[in-house]
Amino acid sequence: MSTVSQGARPALLHGKLARRFFWAAAAAAALALAGWTTPAFLTLDNLFVVVRAASTTGVVAIGMSYVTISGNLFALSAGQLSALLGIVYALLVRAGAGAPAACGATLVAAAGAGAAQGYAMTIVRNPIITTIAFGAVFAGIAALISGNGNIRLHNEIATWIGTMRPLRVPIQSWVFVAWALVSAFIVAKTRVGRLLTLSGENRLAAQASGLRVDRAAAFALAMLGVSCAIVAIFSVSQFSQAKADMFSGLDIDCIASVLVGGVALRGGRGSPVQAALGAALIALLQNFLLLRALPSGVRFAIVGALVVAATSGFHLLQRRER
Amino acid sequence: MRKGLAAGALARPALALAVYAIFASSLPNYHTAVGVWALLDGSVLTGLVAVGVGLTMIAGELDLSVASMAALAGVLTMRLIGVGAVPAVAVAVAVVAAALFGAAQGYLISWLRINSLVFTVGTLIGLRGVALVAANETTLTLPLDQLSITDAVDGRLFVFSPLSATMLGAFALAGLFASRTIWGREIYAIGGGRAESRVAGVPQRRPIVVAFAACAAFAALAGGLMSIRSGSASPLSFDAALLEAVAACLIGGVALEGGKGGFFGVLMGLFTLRLVLSGIASLGAPFWAQNLAAGLLLIFVIVVETASAAVGRWRERAGARAAIADRGA
Repeated sequence: MSTVSQGARPALLHGKLARRFFWAAAAAAALALAGWTTPAFLTLDNLFVVVRAASTTGVVAIGMSYVTISGNLFALSAGQLSALLGIVYALLVRAGAGAPAACGATLVAAAGAGAAQGYAMTIVRNPIITTIAFGAVFAGIAALISGNGNIRLHNEIATWIGTMRPLRVPIQSWVFVAWALVSAFIVAKTRVGRLLTLSGENRLAAQASGLRVDRAAAFALAMLGVSCAIVAIFSVSQFSQAKADMFSGLDIDCIASVLVGGVALRGGRGSPVQAALGAALIALLQNFLLLRALPSGVRFAIVGALVVAATSGFHLLQRRER
Repeated sequence: MRKGLAAGALARPALALAVYAIFASSLPNYHTAVGVWALLDGSVLTGLVAVGVGLTMIAGELDLSVASMAALAGVLTMRLIGVGAVPAVAVAVAVVAAALFGAAQGYLISWLRINSLVFTVGTLIGLRGVALVAANETTLTLPLDQLSITDAVDGRLFVFSPLSATMLGAFALAGLFASRTIWGREIYAIGGGRAESRVAGVPQRRPIVVAFAACAAFAALAGGLMSIRSGSASPLSFDAALLEAVAACLIGGVALEGGKGGFFGVLMGLFTLRLVLSGIASLGAPFWAQNLAAGLLLIFVIVVETASAAVGRWRERAGARAAIADRGA
């Protein structure tokens, strides 16, 4: 027994280092190339722009990393859930609930919708199909309760929430960084975080030792729901409007962030911070393509290629590790 | 076991008929040949995509990139017709290109031993991007002098249109391929039990390559034919195709864990789904209600499927217990 663990440890370290190196090298190469070809790219102002641009995707990507770490790959319903929550929040504020109460209710609804998906995917054993189905339902409900139109807000507190700038940095950027740190702490240091990683690392072993794998999935999806709610609340507050299709394409950017960040797809390894960095990298890419005035199709194609390359690369590294 | 199989084979057509009866009793056009023609013709996109997705599901994998592939094939078809290709040739070129891409995708998935859900999320994004670039981010339309070909595919022979006949042909072809050929049986074998099939000497790579190549080809056929029918191709189209195709397969008895299901069942699943969706549309519901209904139906089917599997396991265990008790007595 002890020989096995001794033999495995250096290999693990090696794999971890290799993975870190892979990421760092890729990021450094991308940055150097971008800075070299586009001078405006590597400036401090642009850094703040990128963090702000990454914040929407980033917060949800952090939520998505809980799902990945819990061994459930990802959810394809994040965009639809965010839109639904945005509409719920907007309707609550319009109904006179007051922005703080509306925020609370939206967060509770988000956690509930997430947990329901988590329990469902444990039963179905296919997270992708489960969340595609839930996503269609969320989108349908969102269109239904919004009358498939634009819901406008006229609420000073909501606008204040969405547009405040502590230390002249947008609140969204603060929330993004804070959520990454809080999530890293939850996953690494808390009891429920351990449950999450153990369930993801080896589902059968976790089940056999009496861990509630279904609760791990429910918690992970609930955290994703909360992330969606955060994004929805700040976006709707900032723009004072909500629409059923306001977050289309969000899923794909989040999944790309998680994959590019190198969160292990087998589950059990990785940190939400990696997803946040992945989101920053995707935002950098987006920002770069914007500065170069390249069309969005090229962006999609590059992100897709990046995802395929990153997943295959990390997968090979992990396999060598075993 | 045998009895359960027969009951399952009867249950799916019965379900489709029941749904038909419900809507036919309230919607007059459902009785007529034109009504059935329209229903069949409306199923072509989902049907062709479901054939391919069904093959990958039987192999115990899933190709999520089908909708993007269909969109790309539509754009490609329009581009080729734009430079003077005959429509049939344009579609054929798109299908062959897609099959090659799908084969490469299957080869990589098998070689890397990576989860196909993860890999195809990447190609889902990437192919959408390629479609956008190829279409210059606009909707392509047929040149005016070529518009007559959209009429040619709109013909009607009894209840069949050229497109729905193609789709039914695809179902027959896939059904025969999967159940009668060795390559097809291999797909079932690796889906039913990866480890067992390897021990039994079933090649592990070929079935995956074949399933993914066929899946991409059928998706491209769907995209190409749809673009010819509408006379236009948008790089952002077909985004609901995956949901509907997976729903049709699941209703049709293809199990998520692979190795189970047949194409007659998928066809019945497709009819059930399309009857519900077009029925809802004919009752005057807005377009998003269809997606909502598809989602709810999918959840319902998954719940029923999971519950029946649990009951089956419970019965098996009860049977084993009874056998042990018999031996004891």
